Amino acid sequence: MTDSGEVRDVTRRNFLRGLAGAAGATIAIAALEDLAANPDKALASYEAQIALAAKQAGLSTTTGQLDILERMHQELARAIVKPASDRRWVMVIDLRKCVGCHACTIACVAENKLPPGVVYRPVLEEETGDFPNVKRQFIPRPCMQCDNPPCVPVCPVEATYKNEDGVVVVDYEQCIGCRACLAACPYGARTSDFGYTYIEDTIPKSEGLIVGREAADDYERAANYEYGKAWSREDEDKSPRGNARKCHFCLHRVKVGELPACVTTCIGRATMFGDAKDSDSLVSEMIAQPNVMRLKEEMGTEPRVYYLV
Amino acid sequence: MLKKILYGFGAVALLLGLYGFYNRLFIGERDVNYGSYVNWGLWVAMYLFFAGLSSGSYMVATLDYLFEVPLFKGTGKYALWAAMVTLPAALVSIGMDLGHMERIWKVYLQPNPSSLLAQMVWGYTLFSIVILHSLWLVSQANTPKPIIKGLMVVGFVMAIFVSGGVGALLGVNASRAVWHVGLLPAQFPIFSLATGVALMLTILSFFGTTDDTRRLRQVRVLSIATVVLLLVKTYFLWADLSMSLYSGVPQNVDAINEMLYGQYWWAFWILQVGLGTILPMVVLVLPGMYKKPLWIGATGILVLIGFAAARANIVFPALAIPELEGLATAFTGPHLDFEYFPSLMEWSVTIGLVGAATLAFLLGLDFLPFLGTQKQTEVTK
Repeated sequence: MTDSGEVRDVTRRNFLRGLAGAAGATIAIAALEDLAANPDKALASYEAQIALAAKQAGLSTTTGQLDILERMHQELARAIVKPASDRRWVMVIDLRKCVGCHACTIACVAENKLPPGVVYRPVLEEETGDFPNVKRQFIPRPCMQCDNPPCVPVCPVEATYKNEDGVVVVDYEQCIGCRACLAACPYGARTSDFGYTYIEDTIPKSEGLIVGREAADDYERAANYEYGKAWSREDEDKSPRGNARKCHFCLHRVKVGELPACVTTCIGRATMFGDAKDSDSLVSEMIAQPNVMRLKEEMGTEPRVYYLV
Repeated sequence: MLKKILYGFGAVALLLGLYGFYNRLFIGERDVNYGSYVNWGLWVAMYLFFAGLSSGSYMVATLDYLFEVPLFKGTGKYALWAAMVTLPAALVSIGMDLGHMERIWKVYLQPNPSSLLAQMVWGYTLFSIVILHSLWLVSQANTPKPIIKGLMVVGFVMAIFVSGGVGALLGVNASRAVWHVGLLPAQFPIFSLATGVALMLTILSFFGTTDDTRRLRQVRVLSIATVVLLLVKTYFLWADLSMSLYSGVPQNVDAINEMLYGQYWWAFWILQVGLGTILPMVVLVLPGMYKKPLWIGATGILVLIGFAAARANIVFPALAIPELEGLATAFTGPHLDFEYFPSLMEWSVTIGLVGAATLAFLLGLDFLPFLGTQKQTEVTK
């Protein structure tokens, strides 16, 4: 009796599952047909449904509002036409939104064509608490662009300094590679370029194992455009090989109205960038929040990177 | 015989160093083990050591040429020559560490005056000129004493400032809690003097003039001075470690623990404390030991090894502690490591520099007339 009952029960459950699946498939097909026939109307309808569902669930949605990326672009366009002294670039990272995907790290590596061993924006992972009260937190760590940077006075040749925008930059052709700035940085935000390339130094040497190896090698040696200048890796001895390197808020992008690569790539919109002297800017709003903090604030470095916690 | 052995040692060490020099100069920095996190390694530690040895030797030379201590009359030239051969070793060691050593001229022509590093480059350059000039003056028979004394005053003050400045070079980094103490620039001149005295002890023990009846007394006094300076060093060490551990600042405590029990425990306990401090103190206070020049000379070398390890133990553990939790594993790649042990190439360069300095010192003894080689006889004969 029990056996037959279980059989009946399973059969009933399977039947209901099949029915639900068929209904879902029918709706999906109908939705796709709608989308094909009248894409704009269909999308608007779905967005409205999503917004309604989100509202009912007590969730917020960006639907119907300006995406923060678009907003930051508009604010950036306003800021770059101002004199440099009238703007203050800051970065705000909402740690509640960071999912630890490391996309910002990779975007930065790609944008600046960083070689092995050089990283501008790693994402630190921290696990705290004891089971079951465990928390895992991700902390992206770009250069803090300190207003009182410890790395600047130690440089023996003034190769690193705060530029007119208040961003701490490195003059690659001036740097002697003493790494005093690396020792001085309390955030470990500088790395030294020891001259590696991914193709030569990080993959098997055997010929024929990697399709497109030569093209990749050429790409890797082609110039990046940090600080608005072409820096090729063709020559073994030339900068930025042998130099201290660091995040520069993608100044070469910002100058032409593009947000830093890490900002545009952040899938959770956790990283924000803009002019803190613009009181209407997103970053101004964010750094006025009570839940804002900066790393190692007690050191008096006055970082320009803020975290929302 | 002893001199031949030392010549042999110097030559072999220099040969071993050729690999490192070639690798660094013609291939680059890829074969080093320091990196972006432990950003200063063996070469910086040896820069601190050799530079301290040079300034300490100059301080010892003032016993003869400035303070005119009768017991040390005639020893100043050896101390000056030792200062002369060890300073280039220091400068080459730090030069090898530069990512762009061909740009060193920028520190002279486009310096940042507020940088301790720039100040040290200028300071040691001027100091090398002072050493060279001092050597020139003392080698001339007719140089008036006041001129020598005047220059020795300048050199003595410079020796204190440049060796203290090296301590400040590390100490100004508030990012490294274990360095950021006022004690650091204060103890470096003492460490330098201790190494200068230990080197002089070895020089006089190995190469002191046998017809000089004062030699035994010189060795005796220098032995006592070495023991006293080792005690002072131990007191500094105790003050430093106990204060750091007691106050409990995490980054400070972590660095101290790294030195005492971490990857550098052997360098601290065996080289610095055991062979470099306790054993020499025991040997040097044993009655009658000062009459055994080979033992005393070898003990002086042990003291130097201990101080070299001490310099490394100041540099490496402080850098081996991540500035932020999670940094060590956040991104991987070559030279992104908080564990550091010098590479073969780094050892090679350091051994080569020790060999070159040894050879230069011996060649000076044999071929520079003012060093009085005609009277010099090996103590072992």
